[in-house]
Amino acid sequence: MNRSALRAAVVIAAVYGHFLIFAQFAFVELLRAGGVDAAAERVVLGAMAAAGVVGGFVAAWRGATPVLVRVALGVAGVSAALAPWVGGLAGGLGVAVATGGALGVATVSLAALLPGWCGVAWVGLGTGLGYGGCNVPWVFTQSPVGQAWVAVGFAGVGVLAVPRGVEWRADGRVAVFPWWGALGVFAALVWLDSAAFFIIQHVADFKAGTWGDGLLWRNAAVHFGVAVGAGWWLARAGARLVPVVAWGVLALAALAVNAAATRGLVGWWYPAGVSLYATALVAWPGWYSGADGVRPAAWRAALLFAVAGWFASANGIGMAQSLNCVPVAFVVGAGVVVIGVALFSNHGNRRAAVAVALVGTVVGLGALADRGKPVPPSAAARGRQVYLAEGCIHCHSQYVRPGSMDEAAWGSARALDVARAGAPVLIGNRRQGPDLATVGARRSAAWLRAHFINPQQLVPGSSMPAYGPLFADARGEDLIAYLQGTAAGWVNTSPGRAGEWIPNKAAGVAPGTDGARMFVRLCTACHGADGLGDGALAGGLTKRPANLADGPFLWTAGTDSLELRVARVVKFGLPGTDMPGHEVLSDAEVLALTGHVLRLRQR
Amino acid sequence: MDEGAFKPAGDGVMLAARHALGWLGLGNGVGLWLALLLVAPGLQAGEWTYGRWVPVHLNIQLYGWTALPLVAWLLHIYEVDRSKAAAWAPAAVWAWSAALALGVLHWLNGHTSGKIFLDWQGGTLWGLVAAMLVLWSVLAVAWRERAAGWSARRRALAALGLWVLAAVPAAMVSVASPAAYPPVDVTTGGPSGASLLGSTLVVVTVMMLLPRAGAATGEGRAGWWVWTYLANCWMIFGAAEWIGGTHWQFHQIGAMALLLPWAVLLPWDWAGFAWPEGTRVWRIAVFGWWGMLVLSGVTMYLPFLLDRVKFTQALVGHSHLAMAGFTTSFCALVLVAVTGRPLGGGRSVALWHGAVLVMIGVLAAMGWREGGGFSWMELNPVWRTAGFHLRATCGALMLGASITWINHWRKS
Repeated sequence: MNRSALRAAVVIAAVYGHFLIFAQFAFVELLRAGGVDAAAERVVLGAMAAAGVVGGFVAAWRGATPVLVRVALGVAGVSAALAPWVGGLAGGLGVAVATGGALGVATVSLAALLPGWCGVAWVGLGTGLGYGGCNVPWVFTQSPVGQAWVAVGFAGVGVLAVPRGVEWRADGRVAVFPWWGALGVFAALVWLDSAAFFIIQHVADFKAGTWGDGLLWRNAAVHFGVAVGAGWWLARAGARLVPVVAWGVLALAALAVNAAATRGLVGWWYPAGVSLYATALVAWPGWYSGADGVRPAAWRAALLFAVAGWFASANGIGMAQSLNCVPVAFVVGAGVVVIGVALFSNHGNRRAAVAVALVGTVVGLGALADRGKPVPPSAAARGRQVYLAEGCIHCHSQYVRPGSMDEAAWGSARALDVARAGAPVLIGNRRQGPDLATVGARRSAAWLRAHFINPQQLVPGSSMPAYGPLFADARGEDLIAYLQGTAAGWVNTSPGRAGEWIPNKAAGVAPGTDGARMFVRLCTACHGADGLGDGALAGGLTKRPANLADGPFLWTAGTDSLELRVARVVKFGLPGTDMPGHEVLSDAEVLALTGHVLRLRQR
Repeated sequence: MDEGAFKPAGDGVMLAARHALGWLGLGNGVGLWLALLLVAPGLQAGEWTYGRWVPVHLNIQLYGWTALPLVAWLLHIYEVDRSKAAAWAPAAVWAWSAALALGVLHWLNGHTSGKIFLDWQGGTLWGLVAAMLVLWSVLAVAWRERAAGWSARRRALAALGLWVLAAVPAAMVSVASPAAYPPVDVTTGGPSGASLLGSTLVVVTVMMLLPRAGAATGEGRAGWWVWTYLANCWMIFGAAEWIGGTHWQFHQIGAMALLLPWAVLLPWDWAGFAWPEGTRVWRIAVFGWWGMLVLSGVTMYLPFLLDRVKFTQALVGHSHLAMAGFTTSFCALVLVAVTGRPLGGGRSVALWHGAVLVMIGVLAAMGWREGGGFSWMELNPVWRTAGFHLRATCGALMLGASITWINHWRKS
C-alpha cells in the first residue's frame, strides 16, 4: 500500500468535501438564517470567489508546500466552525473571505503537489470519496450547523493526512491542450455543470426527484464509481477524451433538466458527468498542463481554477437564474469548445479545424436562411411538416395497394397521382403500424389525440412511442388536422363499405382466438372491463362510450341480424363518433369479439 | 491502373478509415437503440423520438460507414498522401464527418426532407456539398501533381473520375430535392424492377472497378463480353425505366433477372486478381452476401411474393442483408486493401456475420407472418414480440463485434 498516495487521496476528499458541503451549501443557508438578504448574499459569495482567486495566486507566488496545505485547511476548518456563530453581512464577509482564501490556497497547492505524492489514479479515488461522502445521507441531511461541523471534520482529517515532501515526479509530460484550450474546456464544463445544478436545485419537485430520500446512496455510488473509473481511465489512456465524454454526459443531463419527461434520468447523468470532469480538473495542472515543476504547476492551477472554477461557476449560476433553463444553444456551444479543443488544438490539425469551420459556417448560414421561411398558414400544412419532422414515414405508409388486402383493411385505393402529390412524396416503405392514408376518416380527433399521448392504453403491447410533447404546443393538433385532411376524399365511401360487408363465417374461429381476451386488449380502455362505458379514457372522449351491457343500443339498430350489425361496428367503427374500427382483424377475430360483446348484452 | 496498390497508407487514408469505423460503431449503437425502442417504447425520452433516430441510423451507415471507406479508396487512388495536398487530406475527412455530425443534430431536432437516405436539406445539404468540394479539391490537386508519373491510361481514367466526381454535388442537390421522386410501381407503391436494377448496377460497376483501381494487382478474368454485358444491362435499365410498369410485367421482371449472372460473374472476375493479405475473409463474406442479395432480391420481386412481403419486416431484413451483410463486408474489404491493416479477429468477424444472418432470418420470418394478415398490428402476438427481442439481441452482438474491430484496428 502506497501510504503517501492514500493520504493524498484523503486530502483531495477533504478539500472537495469541505468545499461542497460547506462553501456551496451550509454557508449559504447559514447566511440566510442570519438575515442576509439576496443582494447581500451575492456580495458575500462574490467576496468568497475573489478571495479564492487571490488565495490561489498567492499560493502560486509563495510556492506550494505541504505546510501551506495544512495551514489552509486549518483556516478553512476554523472558518467553518465560526460560521454558525457569526451573523450579518460583516461576519458573513469575514467567513467568506477566510473560506475562499483558504480553499484557493489549498486547491492550488494540492494540485501542484499531487504528482509528487501519488499516481493520477489516486486523484479519482480522492474525488470519489469527496463527492460520494457528501452524498451519504447522514452528511447530506444534516442541518446547516451540522454540515458546518462535518466540514470542520473534513478539514481536520485533511490536516492530519497531508503527506510530507515536495518531490516532483511528472517530468517530461507535454501539455495535452494548449493553456487557452484547457481554460476553455474546463470553463465550458464548469459553466454547464453550474447551470444544470442551479435548475436541479430550484425546480419544484426536481430536487426531491434527484437528491430525495433513497436516492442519496445511489448518487454517492455513482459519484464514487465514476470518479474512480475516471482516475483509472486517466492513468491508462491519458486525458484527451475524458473532458469530451464528460461534456457528452453533462449535455444529456443539461438537456434532460429542461423537459419534465426526461428529468428522471438527470439523477444518473449529472453526478456521472460531474465526477468525470472534476477528477480531470484536479489532475490537469500536475499531469497534463505541461508543467515541469511544482511552481509552474501551481501557476497553471491558479489560472485554471480562477477562470474555470470561480468565474465559470458564477456565470453558469447567473445564466440559469436569468433564463430558468439551460439553453440548447449553450450546450451545443460548450460542445463545440470542448470537442474543438480536443480534436484540433494540436498544430497539425489546424487545417482540419478550418475545413470543419467552413462546413459549420455553411450549415449555420443555411439554418439562418431557413428561419426566414414563412410558416404555412393552414393547420393541415403545418401538420404535414410535423409528420415529416417526427419521421412518421419510417413506420407508416400512405399507400393502399389496389386489389390487395390493404383495401379490406383501410379502404379503396386512390389514384397514383394522389399518392404522389406533395413534396416530398410520403408513400413510405415500411409498416410497423397501419397505413395512414385514410386514418383521419377511420379515427376521430379525440381517439387520435389519446393514442398519440399514450398509445399503449388503446393498443396494449403496441410498439408506437408516445408523442405527448406534441400537445404541449400546437403541433399535435396540426398533425391531427393533416391526417384528417389526407383522408378527406375517402370519408363518404366508409358507411357504404361497412353496409356491404358480411363476415365469412365459413372461416370459423381462428385457433387461440378468445373474444374475452380481445375485449380486454382492445375495448376496455373506453368501454371498461364489464362493458359499462366507464373505461379509463371514457371521460376524455367527445361522447361517453356505449354501455354494452345495458344500452341504449342506438348504433346497432337495423334489419340485418344483430350479430352482423354488431360485427360491422366492431370491424368499421362508427363514423362521426369516437368508436374506431378494427379493420385489421380477420373475420374470425371480428366474430369472436362480436360474440363476447353480445354475451355482455345478454347479461 | 494498379500502380497504387500495396503502398503504405498515409494520414488521410488512415484517418478516413478511423472515421469510418467510428461511424460504424456509432451507427450500430443507434441501431441497437432503435431495436430496444421497438421492444420497450417507454424508453423513449423527450422529443428525440424513434422516427427521428431512424434517419440518424440510416444516414450514419450510408454517409459514414459506407461513404468514408470509399473516400479512403479515392485518397489512395489519387495518391493524395504523397502529394502537396497531403496536409489537407485529413481536413477533407474531418469536413465530411462534420457535415454528417451536423446532419445528425439536424435530424434529431426534427429537420428533415423526408427522403429516406437523401435526408439532406437547407444548411446540412450545403454543408455536405462543401465537404464534397473540399474532397474534390484535394483529389484534383493530387492528380495534377502525381499524374505526370502515371501511365497514360491511368492518367486519363483518373481525370475521367474527377469529372464524374465533379458532378456528384450537383446530382446530390438534385436528387435530395423533395420535388424529385423515382417511378412508382402502382401495384406496390415501391420502386420498379428497372429502378432496382439501376441502383444495383451502380454497385456492380464499383465492384468491377475496385480491384482495377488500387485495391489489388494483376488482371481480372472479365473479358470484353463481360463489359459488353454490363453496358447492355445499363441500356436495358434505361429502356425499362423509361417504359415503367409493374412487377407483374415481363419487362420489369426481366430487368431484375439481368442481375442473376452477376452473382457468378463478379466472384469469377475477382478470382483473377492478386489481393492484399488479410482480405480473403472479407472477399468470401462479400460474395456470400452478394449471392444471397441478388437471389433474394430477384425472387422477392416476383408476383405474389412481393405482394406478400411488401411493407413488412421481410424487406427490413433484405435491407439489413444489403447493408449489414454485403456493404459492411465490402467496406471492410476496401479498408483492409487500402490501409494494409487487418480488421477484426476470426471470432468477431464470425460473430458479426452470424448475428446478421440470424437477424435477417428472424425479420424474414416475421415479415412472412405479417404478410398473411394485419391483425398483428392490434393483437401484438408473441411471435412478434419474440422477434423484436431476438433482433435487439443480434443488434447487441453486432455492436460488440464492431467495437472489437475498432479496438483491434487501433492496436494493429
